[in-house]
Amino acid sequence: MPFDPVAPLFPLFVDLPFEQGYVRSIIYVSLYVSVIAVALSTLFSIPVALLMGFAEFPGKQFVKSVINTGMGFPSVVVGLLVLFAVSNQGPLGAMNLIFTKEAMIISQFVLATPPITAISLAAITGVDESVRDAARALGGTRLDVALVVIKEARYGIATAVLAGFGRAISEVGSVLIVGGTSRAPTGSRKRGP
Amino acid sequence: MIRLSNVSQSYGEEQVVDDVSLSVQPGEVVGIIGPSGVGKTTLLRILALFLDPDEGRVELDGKAVWGVDEDERLALRRQVGMVFQEASLFDASVARNVEYGLRVRQGWDERLRDQLRGLVGGTEPAAAVEDALEIVGLRDKVDQPADSLSGGEAQRVSFARALAYEPDYLLLDEPTSDLDPRNTGLIEDAVAEARDRGIGVVVATHDMHQAERVADRVGVLLGDGFTEIGPTERIFEHPTDERTRKFISGELVY
Repeated sequence: MPFDPVAPLFPLFVDLPFEQGYVRSIIYVSLYVSVIAVALSTLFSIPVALLMGFAEFPGKQFVKSVINTGMGFPSVVVGLLVLFAVSNQGPLGAMNLIFTKEAMIISQFVLATPPITAISLAAITGVDESVRDAARALGGTRLDVALVVIKEARYGIATAVLAGFGRAISEVGSVLIVGGTSRAPTGSRKRGP
Repeated sequence: MIRLSNVSQSYGEEQVVDDVSLSVQPGEVVGIIGPSGVGKTTLLRILALFLDPDEGRVELDGKAVWGVDEDERLALRRQVGMVFQEASLFDASVARNVEYGLRVRQGWDERLRDQLRGLVGGTEPAAAVEDALEIVGLRDKVDQPADSLSGGEAQRVSFARALAYEPDYLLLDEPTSDLDPRNTGLIEDAVAEARDRGIGVVVATHDMHQAERVADRVGVLLGDGFTEIGPTERIFEHPTDERTRKFISGELVY
């Protein structure tokens, strides 16, 4: 039998007024949405943090302000903004994302990205400049130097990803807004036969 | 040969390197002495092809370094190694540190294969890695984590790291300023070994006696370019420039 991560939780739900399959599907959807959102957010955040750490570009201070603001942005507001974006009249309306898992992923992405970027940035800028110089002096290209920096900052980056996952998985408000409160559309099973 | 012709560099208002000309041949040790803050590090960064100077020309084996495209410059830069005042080792084993220069010169497929092999069963360090560690006397530490080394050992590993990929030129920026006499001696022996292997070495130091011990030629940097540059013995025995003489005899204190 394949490993089922939810199985150990199972005895906890036996007294709830739902069938087991229903509860299980809810947990799967929550995990799926949060893991995908955090994975995408990490792929986006680390290059941004590297750029913010080492490159000079116009508008850098603005990007920094956006990230810091995003850290404390109320999740319900994020939910509303994403709802506007994916609703029929919104810029992404044509993609029919409203009340789907994809919409939930978008809103969790928006929520998880600021903390992941900000904490990664702190870890990356904490890597000693002499280490970067050494990588370069030993013949490293810009990509090699970036990889060294990521490797040196790996614990800090892991913390960032965990913090982002924490924010995503514990999120209720925004997900409720873009995912809807009815059962079926986001993938959780319809109630019993 | 690395050749600097009339190189100048300033940071803001401050002129750090002023009209310096210098050439380094393979198989010689050039000492650059001068007080702290006189531009030795900046000069070394120019020699390492890190820094495009405001004025002047930098040539490596006859090629104008800042006139070629980035790929070609990377190839030129890879002929030069540099050791800094701090060891600044990577957070990995001694072997991984020393092989870094070799690794970045491999193709990505080879690097990925090595990485996977390392995950499965560990790999034997390359012969060049063991050889480089042998020169600094740390062959037995090959498997240790870098952060378990003492300061002197770390600096010696940092030296081995720059030797492992056999650069044509090696630049040392105050390599022994934080070290005890024993580790200093070991580094100086390694410098001599590097020279015997045909590497052109530049040692920037504020320690005149070190320059006298290791260098074939010495340049004296006292603020605005070299006051004097020539064979070590001549500079120390018969300096022609008055400021050089005062600096060497300790009368000129900054």
